[in-house]
This record gives sequence, C-alpha cells and structure tokens, in this order.
Amino acid sequence: MEAYLLNLFILISIYSILGVTLNFIMGYAGIYSLAHAVFFGVGAYAGSFMAMHFNASIFVTLPVAMVAGGLLSLILALPALRVRGEYFVAASLGLQVLAVTIFSEWKGVTGGIGGLIGIPPLDIAGFEIFKPSQFIFVTVVALVIILFIINRLVHSSFGRSLRAIRDSESAAAAFGKNVPLIKTISVVISSALTAVAGVLYASYLSFINVESFMLDTSVLIMAMVIIGGTGTQAGPIVGAALLLILPSLISYLDFLPQTEIGSIQQIIYGLGMALLMIYRPGGIVGRKKHSETGKE
Amino acid sequence: MLALQLTITGLQTGALYALTAVGFSLIFGSTRIFHFAHGATFIIAAYLFYYMNVSGYGLIAGIAAATAGAIAFGLLLNRFVYVPIQRDEGSFFTVFVASFGIGIVVQNVVGMIFGRGYVTVSTPLSFSVEIMEGLYVAPIAWISMLCAAVFFGILWGFLKYSQMGKALRALADNPELVRVFGLNPRFIAASAFTIGSILVVPAAIISGATSGLNPAMGHHVMLISLAATIVGGIGSVPGTLLAGLALGLAESLALLYVDSQWTEAVTFAILFLFIIIRPSGLLGRSAAH
Amino acid sequence: MVASHTGTQDVLMEIRNVDKAFGGVKAVDDVSMDLRAGIITTLVGPNGAGKTTLFNVITGELAKDSGSIKWLGNPINRIKPYQAARAGILRTFQDLRLFSEMSVEDNILTAVENNSLPLPVGRAQRTARLERVEYALDRTGLSSKRKIRAKDLAYAERKFLSMARVMATEARLWLLDEPASGLDPNSYEKFLEILREEVKQGVTVCIIEHNLDIVIGISDRIAFLDRGKLLADDEPQKVLNDPALRAIYFGERT
Repeated sequence: MEAYLLNLFILISIYSILGVTLNFIMGYAGIYSLAHAVFFGVGAYAGSFMAMHFNASIFVTLPVAMVAGGLLSLILALPALRVRGEYFVAASLGLQVLAVTIFSEWKGVTGGIGGLIGIPPLDIAGFEIFKPSQFIFVTVVALVIILFIINRLVHSSFGRSLRAIRDSESAAAAFGKNVPLIKTISVVISSALTAVAGVLYASYLSFINVESFMLDTSVLIMAMVIIGGTGTQAGPIVGAALLLILPSLISYLDFLPQTEIGSIQQIIYGLGMALLMIYRPGGIVGRKKHSETGKE
Repeated sequence: MLALQLTITGLQTGALYALTAVGFSLIFGSTRIFHFAHGATFIIAAYLFYYMNVSGYGLIAGIAAATAGAIAFGLLLNRFVYVPIQRDEGSFFTVFVASFGIGIVVQNVVGMIFGRGYVTVSTPLSFSVEIMEGLYVAPIAWISMLCAAVFFGILWGFLKYSQMGKALRALADNPELVRVFGLNPRFIAASAFTIGSILVVPAAIISGATSGLNPAMGHHVMLISLAATIVGGIGSVPGTLLAGLALGLAESLALLYVDSQWTEAVTFAILFLFIIIRPSGLLGRSAAH
Repeated sequence: MVASHTGTQDVLMEIRNVDKAFGGVKAVDDVSMDLRAGIITTLVGPNGAGKTTLFNVITGELAKDSGSIKWLGNPINRIKPYQAARAGILRTFQDLRLFSEMSVEDNILTAVENNSLPLPVGRAQRTARLERVEYALDRTGLSSKRKIRAKDLAYAERKFLSMARVMATEARLWLLDEPASGLDPNSYEKFLEILREEVKQGVTVCIIEHNLDIVIGISDRIAFLDRGKLLADDEPQKVLNDPALRAIYFGERT
C-alpha cells in the first residue's frame, strides 16, 4: 500500500509539472497545444540518451533535455504563432502525430517501438536516486522550483502581456505587444520546463517507450489543466491528482466493467471538460461563471 | 504505372478528405465555431453505417441511419454545447475544449461498444479490378470520386443560388456581415451544422469499406480537416476542396519515396509549409483576424 | 504641441486612395483624407459605411487592397498593429476588447508596457509607468475600482476603462471607435470633458460617432463615409448642413 501511494504521488508530481507547464501557455497565453506530450517525450529521450551514453548527472541530463525541448518547440512556434490560435491547434496536432512516428522509428535514440530499458537512475552530484522514497523528494522539489519560476514570470510585465494576449489578442497587439514574439518565448520556456518532467519520468521508471508520449497523453495533460482550472496556480496540480486517482476509484466500483477502466476514465474527463466549459469555464479551482452584470 | 496507380488511390482518398474537410471548413467559416468534434461526427456516421451493415439492413437504411446520426449529432452539439457557451462568452478556446471533450467521449463510447480495433464494411465494391495491365482499381474508387463530384455540385448550387447559401458564403468572408443579411444567426448556425455534417457521411461510409474504421480515427479526420482548411484558406470552400484533394494525392504519391508510416508526416509538412510561406492558404484572402 | 484650431494644421496622417473589399463588397472605396494634428476629426456615416474597417486598415489589423498611408511623413503601408501602437497610433474597439480577466489597473498597466522580453524593468521606468496608470485611473474616475476584474465592471465603467488604456500611453493619435455609444448623459458629458482636455494637451483624435449631439459638440472636422466612399471631409457646419448627406445620415433609404 505504501509503495502504491508513493508511486501515485511521484506520478502526480511529475504530471503536475506537465500540467503546470502546459497551463503556463494555455491558461496565461491562451495557446492550446496538443503536443505537450511531445516535449515530455523529447525530455525523456534526450535525458535518457545522455544518461545511457555519456553521463547520468542531472547537471548534464537536465540542461540537454531542456535545450532539446526548447529548440524543438521553436520549430513549432516560429511558424505557427505568426498567425492565429487555430493554427497552433492544427500544427501541434500535426507535430504530435509526426513525433509519435519519429519516436517509433528513430531506433538509435528512442529504441523504436520497444523503447529504452535500463535507463540509469538520477545522479545528483554523485548520489544516485533510485528508491521511490528518495525520488518523491526530488520530484516535489522540481515541481516547487518550476512553480516558483512560472509564478515569477506570470506576475511580471511578461505575464501581463501573456494574459492580455489571452483575453484579447487584437487588443494586445493594438497596445504594442509583439504577440508572436511573446508567444514564442512562452512556448519555449514551457517546453524546456516540460522536458524536466521527461527526465524525471524516464529515470524513475528506468524504462520508456512511445506509448507514454502519444496523443492520449497530451489530451490527458490538457484535461488535467482544464478540469483543475486554467490560469490558476493550484488548478493543474488538483487536476493531475484527480485524474490520476480516478482510475483507482473506478476500479473500486464493481458495477463498472473493469476491462474498460481506461475508456471510462476518458469518458469521465471528456464529459467533464465539456460540462465545465458550459457551466464553469474556470475549472474546479477557478472562479465561477462571472455575474451577468458584466455583459454587454 | 505505380505512379498512375497511386494517383488514382490518391484521388480517391483526396475526394473523401475534401468532403470531410469542406464540412468542417463550412461550419468554421460561417459560425467561427471550432468544431473539433467534427471527427466524432465522422465516427458516428461511419459506425452507424457499419452497425446497420453487419445487422443485415440494406444499403439505403444504412445511409439513412448514418445521415440521420450525423445531422442529429451536429445539431444537438450545437444546441446543447455551443449555443450555451457562446451565450456567455464563446471564446474560441472554450468552444474548442468542449468540442474536444465531446470528441473524447464519442471515441470511447464507440470503442466500448464496437471494440478499439479496426473494423471494415465488407463489400465486393472494394475488390480491385485490373482495368489496364498492372493497374488495379476498385469500383469504390470511382464511387468516391463520383460521390464527391455530386455532393460538391449540389453544394456549389446551394451556396451560389440559395439565400442561405449566400449568407453562409458571405459570413465565411466576413463574420460581421451577419447583420446585413437580416437572417437569424441561430438558424444560420443550425444550417451550417446540418450541411457540414451531411458532407461527412459519404466519406465516413466509404472509409468503412476502404481504409477501415477505428474509434480513434477522429483525430486523423480532424488533422486532415484542419490541414485542408488552413492550406485551402480559412473561409474558402473551393480552397478547402482543392487542399483536401491535394493532401490525399500527396499522401498517396509520397509512397513512391517513403514508407507508409510517414504519410501523416507528409500532411504535416504541407500544413507547415503553408503556415510558413502562405498562411492565408491557397485561396484565402487574408491571414489577419 | 498645442496646435491652433484654425488654418492649416500639420498633417499627422495622410491617407491616399485606400481600398479594402470583402468578397465583392467594397468596405473602403478609394478613401483619401488627412488627419490633422491637435484636432478631433469625426467619422460619421450609416452602419456598414466602412468606418471601423478604415481604422483596421490604418493600424494594420487588416491589409488594404491598395492605396497608401503616411504617418508623420513616413509610409506605414505594411505596418503591424503592435508597430502602429509603438509609433504612437492607438485605437479603441467598438466591442471594447478589454483584458476581461485582468484587473482594472492591470489593464491599464499592460497598455503602457510595451517590452516583449521577460526581463526585469528598471525602477525609474516602473515608477513612471505606475504614474501614468494613476493618472488614467484618476481622470476616468476608476481609482476606486482598480482591483476589480474588467468584466465585472458596469457598462459605462468599461467604456471608461477602454479610454483609460489609451490615455495612460503617450500615443499621439487616438482612433476611437464609438467610445460614447450607450453612455448616459452624465457619463458622456464626463467623457467629452476628458477628451477635450486631452486634445488641449496635444493629442490628436479621430473618432467614430453616431450621436449627433456629440458629433456637434466635439468635432473640429467631419468626414462622412457611406458604403465605403468618403463623401465629405470638411468643417462641421458644411457637412452637417449638406442636404444630401443629411438624407443619408437620417436614413431615408432602405
């Protein structure tokens, strides 16, 4: 039981990092990416590659993974952000599909469909972290640091620009915001931090394959953010916890077909997303629907 | 000969892409609703037809069920999800997320009922016939192209000559014109959803007999629809049609050079090139808001 | 900076033969006009005359089909909206487009911030910005609402916030799209007072307005648009007394 809970908490904190970083672009900049799992994957593969072939120190794996994630996101962001929101949804969906093909085919780095096995544990200045009871400490610290970075950004003029763009892109531009540049920077920051979650995930499981980085994962992360509450600090973490606990809750309910837990989980969060958008677009943590006085 | 073979396959695929994509483009262009569940409409129509087929009902009953299902889904979604959201704020993303959520629900419900693997509608029409030496074409390829031609012919007439059609076209060009036409925006939206959903039906039915169906293919349908809409130029029906055809052709002809798992990469590459070089699309006017 | 109200003022913006069509409909049809420094030019005309489209073309929100625009003597034909803003051309929107989830003061503060990079800002610059925000809050009477989210404001307050965002900046030209529509008489008196005061301090304004009282009350010059065409661009009395224009204006037409 303790091992089970520890594992759950580690996964929750890793997915919280994914949620928090997606929320940074989704909740504050209004950029809805269906490719978040790609950067998670790039971080995982890049970190594992370094750890397996060169050095497992986090001072090597993390920077390499972050640079890889950031650079790749630049390829996505530079063209797609020049135009409008719809383009990013389309381009990110395309990138997600393409990335799965590359993850499955580029055997030298990703191990192909079979994936990578025997990824070394995290090495922090000589200490190897392989016990879950130690690992949870690392993931929580990583989450806290990332929350701090994002919190600082959100409350700076850069954060105001992002929120302005989210609320009205045309008005933001009309007030001198270089919208494509600001969006690009935010996507690069988000993707680089997402790669951190990839490194943690790979070294925790010591095994990864493409299954963890497919469209379903991107959708799951998006659902976590939306259900928890976009544009809030706690929302993505609440969402991650909720959606990761959900499968175990479902398995307690005997009347549901146990073979379909995955589907039932997805139906619940799909429905949750739609209903929240109708009744409470701010998510669980977010504000209620605003009062009618503010209507034109 | 291989190139010719692939061209015909490409035109067949492209015809179906064009139908689906124009459905999305028409809805998006005239209502600005980012109808991501368009892929779910496709799934519903395809599986309804599949169900009627394996249950032994006739072709006509199958088509009727698929059409009714697609229209009902489109209209219900509009009425019970998009209208309430738009009444309050209706930002592009709120609508997108809700639509996306419904798409996930449909995918999984269909998966629980019919299984997550591939299913196909079996028909002698999808058996290839050698029409020239070394050139094999199944009758269904001609049916696809014919279907697309007929549907686009009707759509063209409708858009050009009916009052509603003119309104839809004008709205796709400039959403602010809705007032000028004096038409009820709700009625316009309902019409757009009806037509857009109908356009999916032939593609859904034929795909069941050619490439086969699986509940997760809604995402592929959306990727194609989005790519064709953007490549064609947002708001341009002829542009989306051409882009859909071109994407089908490109995916097919790419097989001359790459393995089949890379076909979606071809779509992505084309989409990307357009976003970089010509964001307004083939026939779009302006990439601005 | 204070320009005289008579004679030939400096031309800030020179618009020549600008066209913009949507589908077959010409929204702006061969429009040429000058925006002169230190005065209020009012754009009038029936709905759909192309007034807002003209704003969109000037700020680069829409690409024009042909024609040219000069700002302070320099061509700005391919300008982007953010560049227009940084060059000193700011606009408001008919539908306001407030940053609705942000507080009143953040709405104004972000309007004066035009740095794009996530780098720290010097203390002096920060103080200067906050002073501009205070000024705009004070002038529009929104000081007591500073912490409230934009979308929770009452209608008139939201109109004033839309103005405050522009006022806090150092823009030279304001393009105001129906800023007074729907305001009660008290509010629009206050609005007119603010506007006159700002113009006195050197701002140039081009305003789209339907309310004839306001048009008469503030205009130094009136430009009349109908179906995309500029039918007149002259002193208020001449335009308002033209019987043909009056007929169009008062809607004796289907």
